[in-house]
Amino acid sequence: MFSIRAKSVFALFLLSAFAGPVCWAQMPAKMDADSAAIKQCVAAWEDAWNRHDAHATATAYVEDGDFSSTTGVPSHGWKDLEAHYNEIFTTFLKDAHRTDTVRNIRFLTPDIAAVDIDWQMTGAKTRDGKDIPVRKGLLDWVVTRQKNGQWMITIYHESAF
Amino acid sequence: MIRTQTRIVIAALLFLTFSAAGSRAQMAANREADTAAIKQSVASFEDTWNSHDAHAVAMRYVEDGDFSSVKAEPSHGRKELEDHYSTIFTTFLKNAHTTDTVRSIRFLAPDLASVDIDWLVTDPAAPGGVLRKGLLTWIMSKRGGQWMIVIYHEQAF
Repeated sequence: MFSIRAKSVFALFLLSAFAGPVCWAQMPAKMDADSAAIKQCVAAWEDAWNRHDAHATATAYVEDGDFSSTTGVPSHGWKDLEAHYNEIFTTFLKDAHRTDTVRNIRFLTPDIAAVDIDWQMTGAKTRDGKDIPVRKGLLDWVVTRQKNGQWMITIYHESAF
Repeated sequence: MIRTQTRIVIAALLFLTFSAAGSRAQMAANREADTAAIKQSVASFEDTWNSHDAHAVAMRYVEDGDFSSVKAEPSHGRKELEDHYSTIFTTFLKNAHTTDTVRSIRFLAPDLASVDIDWLVTDPAAPGGVLRKGLLTWIMSKRGGQWMIVIYHEQAF
């Protein structure tokens, strides 16, 4: 007969042997769900941008979010971000429309991801008022999962080419 | 006389206050050391880039590191990275010199940081001597005590 202690050790061994694969099986499923949620976050931001809603565009960032323009000009935090979007939506991008397509997502931790997004814009003008037929480039974002489960922009960089 | 129970509560409160302050001071010291180590890692990358050593530059990345060019052309992993650097160092950047200046560091976790770097590439044959300038945006991770590039993006303007 096995002692109670030996039975307990065996039960723990079985539990750890099965819990491991179950945990690994759950990870891809969880990553799929998170990838879908991140794509949804990008789509919601794109929608706010295309409505030229400076407040909604800014509050898709975390409160101390960082933005950097195609020429490396920064904005930090909701107040600066909203002022930045207000300015572009009432001047050289007032008739602009953008399309954002997620190219890839790399999870840095379960709650932090780097996201590359191909962007294209029509209806834009230069700062001195000349039409730009099509602007395009790459956005590279860091998004983070908040306590309520929502993914938000922590860092936004954009390049144009 | 203060009761023993009250004394224990006061002692526990004092312990918590001092250990929290000590922990905050330790965190600040770690952050300062990591900031210096990240700047050192950027300087090492710049040195290896300027010696046009494709292998050494690729080794500044983690094994499955990601690079994206000014035109968003990707390279993934050390082999592709080394091939990419070999190509640029033997063709259009063979006489180029880079100057990389850390602009800002944002810690995402104790061992994970986003680093913005002002970037200037010069070449005596280029108009005005300047071939490219812009911003590098890196994600760096501390692996085995060393800060390495996980993701490298570059933008020229």
